[in-house]
Amino acid sequence: MNMRANRKFQTVKNILAGILFTLCCLSVKAQQDTSLIVIGNTTGVPADIKMNELKAVFRGEKQRWKDGTKVVIAMIKTTTPLGNTISEKIYSMNGDEVRGFWAGISFAGKFDPPNVFNTEAEVEVFVSQNPGAIAILNKTILTSDVKTILVSGKKTL
Amino acid sequence: MILKHLIMRNQNNLWRLTCSILIIIGTAGACFGQNSILQNTHIRGFMEVDASYQNNKVAFGFGEQDLFITSQLNDRFSFLGESVFKYTPNSPTEFSVSIERAIVKYNYFGNNNLLLGKQHTPINFWNDTYHHGRVFFPTIERPLLFPANFIPLHTTGIAAEGHDLGKIRFGYNLLIGNGIDSNDIANNNKRVSITSAIYIKPVDNLKLGVSYYNDKISPGITEQGNSVKWPVYQQLFTGSISYFGKKFELLTEGTLALDKTDTTGTQRNWASYIYAGYRITDKFVPYVRLDNLQYASGEIYYKKNNTSAFLVGMRYYVDYLLVLKMEYQHLDTHISGKTYLVTFQIALGF
Repeated sequence: MNMRANRKFQTVKNILAGILFTLCCLSVKAQQDTSLIVIGNTTGVPADIKMNELKAVFRGEKQRWKDGTKVVIAMIKTTTPLGNTISEKIYSMNGDEVRGFWAGISFAGKFDPPNVFNTEAEVEVFVSQNPGAIAILNKTILTSDVKTILVSGKKTL
Repeated sequence: MILKHLIMRNQNNLWRLTCSILIIIGTAGACFGQNSILQNTHIRGFMEVDASYQNNKVAFGFGEQDLFITSQLNDRFSFLGESVFKYTPNSPTEFSVSIERAIVKYNYFGNNNLLLGKQHTPINFWNDTYHHGRVFFPTIERPLLFPANFIPLHTTGIAAEGHDLGKIRFGYNLLIGNGIDSNDIANNNKRVSITSAIYIKPVDNLKLGVSYYNDKISPGITEQGNSVKWPVYQQLFTGSISYFGKKFELLTEGTLALDKTDTTGTQRNWASYIYAGYRITDKFVPYVRLDNLQYASGEIYYKKNNTSAFLVGMRYYVDYLLVLKMEYQHLDTHISGKTYLVTFQIALGF
């Protein structure tokens, strides 16, 4: 009797542990997804952009912003976890596929590949110094040198 | 003899000069990176190594080594250069260098550009997308309409192009340039060639395009191995459908060539291919391709080598710029009859 109760307790404990683990994973993933923000240089990049337009920009389908400023894409390396998350979110590809995608576009002479950096701080500095530059980051604290771009009216992706 | 010696010496000097220029450009490219106070210049390269089995014989070789340079000259002007080093049996060094693309681009408004220089004729998807980077080719080699010189691969001239315009992502290209059998510095007759192409991308990964090419082929040229005796007025009509999705890949293109002479009237020739692949995993893609070339009996410009072929193959991505491919191809040609070929290729970018 005691053994049966112990077994039941063990099973419930395992189920609860499983649920807790799943919730943790979902929470981490949700945190990764919802904390992505788009930043842009104060010149050229609009304050609000639609999601499909953002994807078009990051796919090299837009050479100039509406005011004529050249579109300059900055990205964190796609080999980093953040780079991979952005690749999935924007390109529906993994990091390796995104590099292949850009190699093809560049080779066809259609668009310059994105400027890539190791850290978010480097990306932010680059965006702040280059008119028309746009990037996706995973943080909310920013300097006043760049602006946060709303995507379809929302602050996060 | 002396003349031959002088020609060989000049060719050697030309080779050395070209190599020196490329090395200087390469060094400059490496130095003038994005942190330089000078313009952004990038240099990349592509090459492939092949092994084949045909007629009970194994052979190894390497194909083109491609040097690709882009440079952003200022906010509106940019340059793209592509040079290919390849085996050329009649060269003194058994190698030659060719300029495959040299384009100055001026971005005048939005996604609209003017291009001046030598470019790949935007006549179909393959020629306008993959160029010489075999690492991007879905199959080991180009479809058979390319080696058959069915379409003009390069045109030196001026072009207006636009891409990804509006919701259906409309694109256009109008190219006026030197015609078939012209060289890179002059047209071989008074008539310029005209290429016009339009496409749409209604949904992601799908591209639908059509193009039209018009040129006058002068008498005496031997582009196809035959000497053309009369002027040929050529019109090419091409249609393309391409879809490269997460799992399924499809690329099919067909070109109708109307060759008209006063003597033979209009001759209709047809070349097409269809490629299909299915991505089993992220790295592994088995595929098939069918090729078909059909020439009119009264055709005088093309070499009339009616061909049908099929190939099956597989592609494995070690990395995004390192791809292994293996193929079996069966060909049935009017001239050589039935043959087969097994090929293995390592294609890479650097």
